[in-house]
Amino acid sequence: MRFALKPGHVVLLLFFIAAALLPLFVDPRGHLLRVAAMALLFAAMAQSWNIIGGLANQISLGHAAFFGLGAYTSTLLFLRLGISPWIGMLAGAVVAGLAAALLSVPTFRLKGHYFALATLAFAEVLRVIANSWADLSGGPVGLTVPFLGTQPLSFAFRAVSSYYWIILALLVIVCVVFYVLAHGAMGYRLRAVRENEAAAEVAGVNTFRVKLVASVISAALTAMCGTVFAQFTFFFDPDSIFSLSGISVRMAMIAIVGGLGTLGGPIIGALFLIPLEEVANAYLSSRAAGLSQLVFGLILIAAILIQPRGIMAFFPKTKGKTQPKAQPATEGARG
Amino acid sequence: MIQALVDGILLGGVYGVISTGLSLVFGVLGVVNFAHAEFLMLGMYVAWFAWRMLGLDPLLGSVLSFIIVFAVGYGVQRLLIQRVLKAPPAAQVFLTVGLMIVIENAALIAFGSDFRSVSVPYQVEGYRLGDIFISAPYLYAFIAAVVLSLALWLFLERSWSGRAIRAVAQDPMASTLVGVDTKRTYGFAFGLGVGLTAFGGAVILPYITVSPTVGGQFVVLMFTVVVLGGLGSVTGALVGGLVVGIVQSLSALFFPIQLQNLFLFVIFIAVLALRPQGLIKGA
Repeated sequence: MRFALKPGHVVLLLFFIAAALLPLFVDPRGHLLRVAAMALLFAAMAQSWNIIGGLANQISLGHAAFFGLGAYTSTLLFLRLGISPWIGMLAGAVVAGLAAALLSVPTFRLKGHYFALATLAFAEVLRVIANSWADLSGGPVGLTVPFLGTQPLSFAFRAVSSYYWIILALLVIVCVVFYVLAHGAMGYRLRAVRENEAAAEVAGVNTFRVKLVASVISAALTAMCGTVFAQFTFFFDPDSIFSLSGISVRMAMIAIVGGLGTLGGPIIGALFLIPLEEVANAYLSSRAAGLSQLVFGLILIAAILIQPRGIMAFFPKTKGKTQPKAQPATEGARG
Repeated sequence: MIQALVDGILLGGVYGVISTGLSLVFGVLGVVNFAHAEFLMLGMYVAWFAWRMLGLDPLLGSVLSFIIVFAVGYGVQRLLIQRVLKAPPAAQVFLTVGLMIVIENAALIAFGSDFRSVSVPYQVEGYRLGDIFISAPYLYAFIAAVVLSLALWLFLERSWSGRAIRAVAQDPMASTLVGVDTKRTYGFAFGLGVGLTAFGGAVILPYITVSPTVGGQFVVLMFTVVVLGGLGSVTGALVGGLVVGIVQSLSALFFPIQLQNLFLFVIFIAVLALRPQGLIKGA
């Protein structure tokens, strides 16, 4: 593993520093900070997805499953047993990791479309269960996280800025995990799987194990985002937390619009899309419900057709390595 | 029990036609169309408006649904899908997912979120056969589905265009060499695929209400049917439809209605894991 500091990394560091200072300059309870926090949270989610979706090119359309497991585990532990959501967050990560491992057994032989379909069905299974098993999950009405004022040990704060910093810290952690995975031996194995699975297997890579590890890590991080989301928004229900277009597709879309398999991609994608969506919601939803979603879909189509390698492709200087001759949308991982 | 079986077969025949379109698109273009269920929704709306404005029974309006959605599908394929035919699966998946979001929300803007249903004279009628009750709207939808399936089979087997579609599915390069316009054939096949699904949507309108989100109810169902029958196999999709219809109807006997779909998902994942080539190979 080489730790050469590249221009791209400097930009990223500066971004994190600037992001950490933002709450000092804007209204700490204001709407702007909420939007910024949401953008960072979605960046962290997209980066988690990027580990399996970008590095190994396993196109998951079911990451809402792990997101929802994280939210449900921590919230239920807190509501039923009074366990702090901080511990619940780790418990959620374990549950999601196990679920990912379990799902890997039947799905990892599947390629491309089939894998996407199977993961999509998995998230739908959880949505149906959460909706119908009301004794456990609270059913279709969803769960409300009680408002406690400021109690740091119970993951409860009055100020938006506290959540903001926690989310930023989570994003940094996810990015570091991504970087270490992408640049370590694991990264080479994952890229080998992505480019040619059969060849990787012949060359001695245990492709099943590599994908399993990446998938479990990706799911666990996604679940942590789920817990933070639940604490931050105080409310969620099965249809929104296990949503295909709201969570699963959006996570993937942010990574793709930003730049699939790149370290900066999910961050750029989230900073571009989430505020855009916020603006679209503010200005368009009064005119017609669905208009902002329509715009969202159009952007996705445009992104695929115009620049499948994402916004990152417009910054050639930040590329550390020479560009591999890969097809669009399966570009190499770059720091 | 036999009652549930009959219900299942009537339901399954329609599922078969709805899913055949999806399978056809995959078989010919190699693209899994995540937006497919939205074309079902479009077909239902066309039939609804045909009923409302022209007084056309949905069973007849289905022809209109087929024609209009065929045209839409042809355009969508030539403008959008054609560009990602050679792209990696990720690009194809997300293009059609984007299309799904666009169509659903465009419908929401155009038609509002109300649930709309038609009223036809035979809606609550039925036939008795001993102990078995056969609901008229289900029966008519099933008959329409069978007729269309036969028409599709004849078309693919006998007509020049049908043969062109099958040729392109087998080997696009060779078909080009013998004078088939592959791009037009792709557009034609996609239009045919979504048109079939729209037709299926129209014939079930007497017993299912339409809303912009109705597609969501059918997405996993359609994929389950298609995967059961083997992706790309038209005959397989028809058989898969019957299987899913029967399973759904039988499971309703033993389990609460909310868990009905859960069964489908479990079957779906199990089939993907154990027999991704479908239950009947080479069909």
